[in-house]
Amino acid sequence: MANEELIYRITRAVYARLGADADERTVEALVTDIYRAIEPVVGADGGARSRESPDTAAGHGEGRADRLIISVFGLDHPGIVAGVSQVLAEARCSIIDINQTVVSGKFAMVIVADISQARESAAALKDRFRGEGERLGVRVYAQREDLFNAMHRI
Amino acid sequence: MEYTQAEILQTVRMTEIEHLDVRTVTLGLSLRDCVRSSIEETAEAVREKIERTASRLVPTVNEIGEEYGLRVANKRISITPASLVAGRARSAQELLPLARAIDEAAGKVGVDFIGGYTALVHKGFTRGESVFVDSIPEALATTERLCSSLNVATTRAGINMDAVRRTGEIVKEMAELTRERGGLACAKFVCFANAVEDNPFMAGAFHGVGEPEAVVNVGVSGPGVVNHAVRHAPKDAPLDEMAELIKRLSFKLARAGELIGREAARRLGLRFGIIDLSLAPTPTPGDSVAEIIEALGFERAGTHGTTAALALLTDAVKKGGAMASSAVGGMSGAFIPVSEDDGMIKAARDGALTLDKLEAWTSVCSVGIDMVAVPGSTTAETIAAIIADEMAVGVMNNKTTAVRIIPVPGKDVGDTVEFGGLLGTAPIMPVHKFSSDAFIRRGGRIPAPIHSLRN
Repeated sequence: MANEELIYRITRAVYARLGADADERTVEALVTDIYRAIEPVVGADGGARSRESPDTAAGHGEGRADRLIISVFGLDHPGIVAGVSQVLAEARCSIIDINQTVVSGKFAMVIVADISQARESAAALKDRFRGEGERLGVRVYAQREDLFNAMHRI
Repeated sequence: MEYTQAEILQTVRMTEIEHLDVRTVTLGLSLRDCVRSSIEETAEAVREKIERTASRLVPTVNEIGEEYGLRVANKRISITPASLVAGRARSAQELLPLARAIDEAAGKVGVDFIGGYTALVHKGFTRGESVFVDSIPEALATTERLCSSLNVATTRAGINMDAVRRTGEIVKEMAELTRERGGLACAKFVCFANAVEDNPFMAGAFHGVGEPEAVVNVGVSGPGVVNHAVRHAPKDAPLDEMAELIKRLSFKLARAGELIGREAARRLGLRFGIIDLSLAPTPTPGDSVAEIIEALGFERAGTHGTTAALALLTDAVKKGGAMASSAVGGMSGAFIPVSEDDGMIKAARDGALTLDKLEAWTSVCSVGIDMVAVPGSTTAETIAAIIADEMAVGVMNNKTTAVRIIPVPGKDVGDTVEFGGLLGTAPIMPVHKFSSDAFIRRGGRIPAPIHSLRN
């Protein structure tokens, strides 16, 4: 299903560059090309989805039971990203998305991880994160993704 | 990212700082196939069924809580009203093996409370129920996890004032039996008007006769979350905006709760029943219904205007929850247990919150005069009169109301009683000094109200 909002935004951007009197067919072709080029990356609904988005969550149509959202907060210092991602790597979890910022010395990071191939259970992973968080002096929280879906999406 | 940083932060803040938890996952279990020819055999059948059906409840729910990062505070069981399976006991003593078997089974599967040592006597007692009611004080005094309730009134039947009078007496009796523990047995007993059949919260949970074989019911909570949001909203925001804010939060709480409940039911191979949206406070500072009321603009909970505030709060919670889930049931409102709510304890100590105001509150919220400690010298008749008032509020307003009151032996106004854990600490609250004895001794029945004739 095409994302109309995104197409509209692309169309406006093209018109802004070429001027209002640009050839209508050229604009239409350009918009189609651009949309096709970025569609696999952004997903049909415009969210920054991973490439393969068929929903395989066990028992649920929404959110994914095999993904964890890991949030890390604390004072910034070198090695936090490395430490947390090391835990994921060792457990054979792949990072789907990662977002990290530092604002006036305060570190904040959110990781979306795929745990479908994980060697350990979600509970065991959480224990590892707790330990790693203590070592790094930051707070690490790990929660299943479908919780966020239930609370923030209709 | 599929979720904004603000959404992720909000969830983490709710679960980690503002005490958002699933207050209880309660397994509702029918015991109607456990009736045998003797009470001992029935007790064994009951024990076996509880242990078998609920064996995986606690580990499964804990595992889910870990995965979601959402704590499930309590795991509980509600059973068919025990009076319905107790058969024809001739003395209260005969029933004690049943009470103990239920309690021991609950201990074995690791739940903290099991509810349903219950009788529904709103229109009258059967012979068996009469004996059953007599057995309640000792059953509660000699067990740890067992909770008991009596339904003594409904909008359809009116108020069984004989049952109300008996309830006053058994409350006094159980306080005496647990004298050295501050009358603790009274904290495990509740008396209802219009009791609901799928309530997951203790002490009033039982598995109603209209319920299926076994269900998973969930009680969500989150006074801390609502409290935080109300406190951080602009101080001069109009009340309709505050209602909207609470409604939105309640939606999120309900969605999280239903997710947990459905997952628990799936893993246990049982049906999902209902989600109860009640805001249930805990003694943890901030996790308080009274503090939400105060944050809406009062110096102390219990003062003038707080009934209106509580009405707004309860209604907003219901609306948000009803939009989030089509499986809303139970009480679904706001609980006001004095001893379990830090803000209520303070308000009662300061004299801002009285029994009369609590009674007024219960006309707009669930559930009733809850976890209120009164002087040990309070008579059975006065307790019955307090119950009668509360039942009238429920019957006339077509809602559930309840009384859980503790006449603490040897204590008086100004003293405090400590129950520990979730049951908290209660300041002894004064009762009216003037007698209601003659009214209570009349007995009989207060007829059902005119609006019960709805067919």
